[in-house]
Amino acid sequence: MSQDAIVVEDLTYRYGQLTAVDRISFKVAEGEILGFLGPNGAGKSTTVKVLTGQIRPQGGRALVLGLDIATDSKRVQSEIGVCFETTNLYEQMSAEENLRLFARLFGVKPFDSSALLQRVGLAGRESDRVERYSKGMKQRLMVARALVNRPRILFLDEPTDGLDPASAEVIRGVILEERARGATVFLTTHDMMEADKLSDRVAFINQGRIAALDTPHNLKQQYGKRALRAEVASPDGSLASREIPMDSPETARAIEDLFEHERVITVHSEEATLEDIFIRITGRGLV
Amino acid sequence: MSLRRVGVLLGKELLQGPKNFIFIWAVVAPIVISLAVSLVFGNLFTDKPTLGVMDEGDSRLVTMAADLTSVVTKEYDTVAGLRDAVQRGAVDMGIVLPDGFDDSILQGEDVRISAYTWGESLAKERAILRATVLDLARQLSGREATVQIESTSLGDETSIPWDDRVLPLVVLMAVFLGGLFLPAISVINEKEKKTLEALVTTPTTIEEVFVAKGVVGFGLGLFTGIVILVLNQAFSAEPLLLVLVMALGTVMASEIGVVSGALIKDTTTLFAMWKFGGILLFAPAFVYLFPQIPEWVAKVFPTYYLIQPVVEISQQGGGWPEIATSVLVLIGLDLAMLGVAAAVVSRARAYGISS
Repeated sequence: MSQDAIVVEDLTYRYGQLTAVDRISFKVAEGEILGFLGPNGAGKSTTVKVLTGQIRPQGGRALVLGLDIATDSKRVQSEIGVCFETTNLYEQMSAEENLRLFARLFGVKPFDSSALLQRVGLAGRESDRVERYSKGMKQRLMVARALVNRPRILFLDEPTDGLDPASAEVIRGVILEERARGATVFLTTHDMMEADKLSDRVAFINQGRIAALDTPHNLKQQYGKRALRAEVASPDGSLASREIPMDSPETARAIEDLFEHERVITVHSEEATLEDIFIRITGRGLV
Repeated sequence: MSLRRVGVLLGKELLQGPKNFIFIWAVVAPIVISLAVSLVFGNLFTDKPTLGVMDEGDSRLVTMAADLTSVVTKEYDTVAGLRDAVQRGAVDMGIVLPDGFDDSILQGEDVRISAYTWGESLAKERAILRATVLDLARQLSGREATVQIESTSLGDETSIPWDDRVLPLVVLMAVFLGGLFLPAISVINEKEKKTLEALVTTPTTIEEVFVAKGVVGFGLGLFTGIVILVLNQAFSAEPLLLVLVMALGTVMASEIGVVSGALIKDTTTLFAMWKFGGILLFAPAFVYLFPQIPEWVAKVFPTYYLIQPVVEISQQGGGWPEIATSVLVLIGLDLAMLGVAAAVVSRARAYGISS
């Protein structure tokens, strides 16, 4: 992780009176996976649209691979791959035809569609019309399409949303492979578990602003609450729970007391999730 | 703009097009309507002008005319019979050959022929028959004959055959279904399915997408328009001028189509606007359909400048002098629409194609 693949400074975008993205600033290093998290309407997709050159920033600036996206969008677009939130494939064409079309538009020669389809688990179905594919297969094809030009930055907008576990796992595997190849991944999601598993750092976006940006570990350290949760049996036989904070000077004594005075049934360590932290920081959930 | 990418997109359009109902409809509908009109009202299978002859003597011209393949010749025994045939439209022009016609022209005398023309016949058919009679007289005399044809029009001169009246409407349908409607719906479909977003986040520009769609619309509109003219035997006179006019008109149609596609949000709105906008596009054709409407009304509408030259060349026997003004206006309209298209592209770049 050396150079910055993406540099965003005071980026602003409005839809009429509504400020969708409000002077946000952040950087993404080359080879990094950044999880961009937030509820619907928080400004995630608008940010992606600006960074992928679909719309021009109305304030601030965004440098992608060192190029200003407002003036050099076509040069940037030749180096990035985008997987959209909504399925937008040519459904009357086959998977192979879809990939070949985009490879030709990128000027990729030679192009091996079979290898790419095999990578996303669609080998053997390359000649089928896409309209006959399941949602998971379509999404895997979307990811494959985003890879036709071996992008230096991969923008993935909710890539596993609503997918079966097998398809989601294939896509997560591809994301990690791309990072290993050296690609930067900008992962937009509201699946906190996924972001936690895959991201080097996560950014919380809420009401158009970046509320927090750090590694999942640091966020948990900073905002999370570690605790031991125990299930104990009361004298009347009913179950009750006890919580002991782990970062207190009294922790050792509390644990000792628990085992000395209570009949402990189970004990679990508890760690804050990204979702807990998001709620704590923004005061709202992800839906 | 990359011609290579435009070519790739063009290939995609051609691959996808025939699978699209609208694509097929744009080709088939005008042709079916044209054939139906020709069968009901027209001259689809009787395209040759018809000459009626009443010979008061024994002229060889009658036999010579009957041998011609370019005109249909019918003989009549009496002048009244000939006049009646002309009046009914059974023949386009009827001539009365006076007794001693052959001797008179062989001796180089001035000869006058009475001719009756059907008021509803096309100018080009009258011109063909007139030239044919003069040519036969020249062949008969072996030199330039001094024959005067004195024409009398029978029937309603203002009455135009229905298939000729309908022709402008069908030509406009062909040009605008293929040239305008197809690119418009193609752009809107890609917006609705969000495939356009996928295209423009590659090095492909919006202009390249629009050009490819416009070219497909142009090709289809021009092809269907020319087929309509051929089916209506309206393509024989000044074919190059007709192609030029049709091409300029179809460019305008494609530009409007692409701009409409970029501005209109969804297919439902497009169909609603087509119902209203269609009236504006086809209004000049209604002036030809109902000649009682003054022609200046049609001049208000841009499509008049496409259809006026087509009618002028194919039905009135006109040439460049008669259509020059319309062609210049048409070029101006094409350039103006190009400016509008450029503004739309600039807006789409700033706010996104789906805005």
